[in-house]
Amino acid sequence: MDFIMYLVLFSMILGFVVIASNPSPFFGALGLVVLAGMGCGILSWHGGSFLSLVLFLIYLGGMLVVFAYSAALAADPFPESLGSRWVLISGVIYLVGVVVVSSLVCGDWYEVIWVVMDELVDFSVMRGDMGGVALMYSWGGGMLILSGGALLLTLFVVLELTRGQSRGALRSI
Amino acid sequence: MLKVLIPTLMLAPTIWLSKPKWLWPTTLAHSFLIALISLTWLQNLSESSWASLSPIMATDSISTPLLVLSCWLLPLMILASQNHMAKDPSNFQRAYISLLTSLQFFLILAFGATELIMFYVMFEATLIPTLIIITRWGNQAERLNAGTYFLFYTLAGSLPLLIALLSLQGWTGTMSLLTLPFSDLAPLTPYTSMLWWAACLLAFLVKMPLYGVHLWLPKAHVEAPVAGSMVLAAVLLKLGGYGMMRIMIMLEPLTKQLCYPFIILAMWGIIMTGSICLRQTDLKSLIAYSSVSHMGLVAGGILIQTPWGFTGALILMIAHGLTSSALFCLANTNYERTHSRTMVLARGLQVILPLMAAWWFIASLANLALPPLPNLMGELTIITSLFNWSWWTLILTGAGTLITAGYSLSMFLTTQRGPLPPHILALEPSHTREHLLIALHLLPLLLLILKPELIWGWTA
Amino acid sequence: MSPLMFSTLLLALGLGSTVTFSSSHWLLAWMGLEINSLAMVPLMARPHFPRAVEAATKYFLAQATAAAMILFAGMTNAWMTGQWTIEMMTHPLPLTLVTLALGLKIGLAPVHAWLPEVLQGVDLTTGLILSTWQKLAPLALLLQLPHGNSPLLIILALSSTLIGGWAGLNQTQLRKILAYSSIAHLGWMMVILQYAPSLTLLALLTYIVMTSSIFLLFKLNNTTNINALATSHTKIPVLTLFAPFILLSLGGLPPLTGFMPKWLILHELTMQGMGTLATITALTALLSLYFYLRLSYSMSLTMSPNNLLTSPLWRLRPHQPTLPLAISATSATMLLPLTPAAFLVR
Repeated sequence: MDFIMYLVLFSMILGFVVIASNPSPFFGALGLVVLAGMGCGILSWHGGSFLSLVLFLIYLGGMLVVFAYSAALAADPFPESLGSRWVLISGVIYLVGVVVVSSLVCGDWYEVIWVVMDELVDFSVMRGDMGGVALMYSWGGGMLILSGGALLLTLFVVLELTRGQSRGALRSI
Repeated sequence: MLKVLIPTLMLAPTIWLSKPKWLWPTTLAHSFLIALISLTWLQNLSESSWASLSPIMATDSISTPLLVLSCWLLPLMILASQNHMAKDPSNFQRAYISLLTSLQFFLILAFGATELIMFYVMFEATLIPTLIIITRWGNQAERLNAGTYFLFYTLAGSLPLLIALLSLQGWTGTMSLLTLPFSDLAPLTPYTSMLWWAACLLAFLVKMPLYGVHLWLPKAHVEAPVAGSMVLAAVLLKLGGYGMMRIMIMLEPLTKQLCYPFIILAMWGIIMTGSICLRQTDLKSLIAYSSVSHMGLVAGGILIQTPWGFTGALILMIAHGLTSSALFCLANTNYERTHSRTMVLARGLQVILPLMAAWWFIASLANLALPPLPNLMGELTIITSLFNWSWWTLILTGAGTLITAGYSLSMFLTTQRGPLPPHILALEPSHTREHLLIALHLLPLLLLILKPELIWGWTA
Repeated sequence: MSPLMFSTLLLALGLGSTVTFSSSHWLLAWMGLEINSLAMVPLMARPHFPRAVEAATKYFLAQATAAAMILFAGMTNAWMTGQWTIEMMTHPLPLTLVTLALGLKIGLAPVHAWLPEVLQGVDLTTGLILSTWQKLAPLALLLQLPHGNSPLLIILALSSTLIGGWAGLNQTQLRKILAYSSIAHLGWMMVILQYAPSLTLLALLTYIVMTSSIFLLFKLNNTTNINALATSHTKIPVLTLFAPFILLSLGGLPPLTGFMPKWLILHELTMQGMGTLATITALTALLSLYFYLRLSYSMSLTMSPNNLLTSPLWRLRPHQPTLPLAISATSATMLLPLTPAAFLVR
């Protein structure tokens, strides 16, 4: 149990490191996939399987496909793969940095703080994460509308930024 | 106070609404009227220490002479600037006179303030008009440098003063000059109190200026147009002396130990700047360094804190204000004719401008402190009190007086006597305006011989 | 950009800040900040030139980082203390995180580097929005935070005033100079934040008034670097005469409005027994004053190659509305007599 948890957490950090060490976009996308998957793994290990499912579907099914598509569009003649020198060097530096810092700072993390969701609640009919979704729809109406508005705004912003053939944010350099 | 302040403010509509043709005469008449009204402050003098009290403003026997001097100087500045501003567009002329007026407004508020913070704000407020006068209407490209020096020397000195004043307010709960002498200072650690003392005095010592922090002054004087030089020499330097006299009372037990280096610098500065004057080729720079030298004497007189020292300092400030302003006017009459400040290029002017030579003579004699003039009275009082404080100062002050006489005479001889060089044969004759200008400087000086108690300060 | 789009974005810009102002919950505050900065991005890229798009991208990256950190700090706080209220963020770890993140959002010194780059890339109107309205929401959050006696704020403040003055010294581009001026002013707001938050607000208001008048002035003048300022006299003579006062007011010289917040801040600091800090802060203001002075030299105190002795006989009427500039310039210079005495009496 602990072993799997540590494995997942470590893979998550690996995903972070892959993105942070600045490889070419598709390798970065690979890191993102690992990161998202491991994040969902952590969530489901904590009992939030519904939430992790939703996240996984949205993240991998929606965003990453589009991201991989647009990364493939911007063809990179000299890709920096994960094995390239600087990517490798910075990746190793980040990893070592994470290990050093966590050994310095996070000495007292042990199993007790990993409380699975709903474990402390007895006799509940609802699962916690599903209940949260229901609560969001019933009580958080205003917030929901605001979030919807923000998403619509994001759509407009992206459209406005990418408009124009050669002068927009997405342009072939 | 408002009797003078409101007419000063009303100069603004006079300036901006009168026709260009009548601009100079009307403003001149108006400002003379203000100067006349300001003379009423003198009559309150010997009744009590404070007069014309209002909630934030008052006059006393220290501030009155300086107030009257600054009111007197505005018409003289307008009179002096008339010629070299004649070629400017009329709106520039108006802006120039507005700046001079605002300077007088701030000066009245500074000298009349009974709140130290009010005094501080107005002390600083004089910076902006002076800066603009120097950098906008000065002549050479170095004027920008001079303006920067002027602003940054003064501000670097006076920002610690602001902190010191604010902490003083924190300890005593008041900033009023009327009550501060009677309130106790909170006990400070020795180290802090030394810092506080230095912060209180530094701004004024820079403004005076003390030898060592005087470098901004010759630059500013040399680059400024005539009105700027006049007001700098006559009144703005006196803000430093006035501020020191005011703040000295609050610094009571500390000054006795801490004042030595500053008195020594002041004394040494008299000698040094006097020697600089002896070998100076630039006429305006010579007068500027002579100001530094005289102000060193004033600083010494104030720092030893005896009644005679204060009296002498005040008398010397007023007398020096009129004298150096007159000298700058005279230098400007030369400058407007020869377009050069170099002394060797304009020698022997007595031959073509004989009456002007008489003015030069009187002004030089005033500068070297000829017997009946208030200049002598001030210097003598300060030298006596310094002698009383320590005998050895007599060496420095005596040598300083000698050097002052030396360079004053050499200035007079170089500019006025001797053969006229051929390249300046065709000079413009001097104007009545210029004669009037110098006469209005020197007449008050001569009249003060008869009634020196007007500028005696607290001993009156 | 179509007018409909433009007004939508402006509306969202206002809405985002308003949501942040009115929230007491970290999640809502974060949402408001995100809406606000998202709406700002296309406004910055509005001329749609590569430089503007670059500025927008940089802005987006910095703001997104800051927002993510704010969300992270809010969640950490919720995890540690069990509540989301902004005023209750008492644990030092999320407090430090969120202070740094908000500092990144407004451009405080150690994390200021995006601000000059971004401001240089956008036009003057957007720059005005960026240095006034965009500061409001993060500062509203900073004002609500329960800062104890935190040295972090002092460090941020001192480095801001120092770097804001220092780095502006060798700039020739007006927008970069204004960016550094903004950093220095924000440093003054931060130095007093934990002692008298209302003074921070006062400093912010006076800063907004002064900086908007200087932005509007440059906009009317259509100048973006120091050299172009020299032509100002032939275009707007009266304002050129007035410009040094606005600039020196930004520098905080006494009879002008800019002295008011500095005076009150120094007063409060000395009252709290921090004379040394007050002196250092006051002296760093001289650094900024130097470049304001340089601007006023090149704008109105000298006229290249020599002092102009003629006034132009005619000039074109300005196309832009000048009333806002008139109001803000007047209040940027004349407000010192309205100094609230309540701050001085204790």
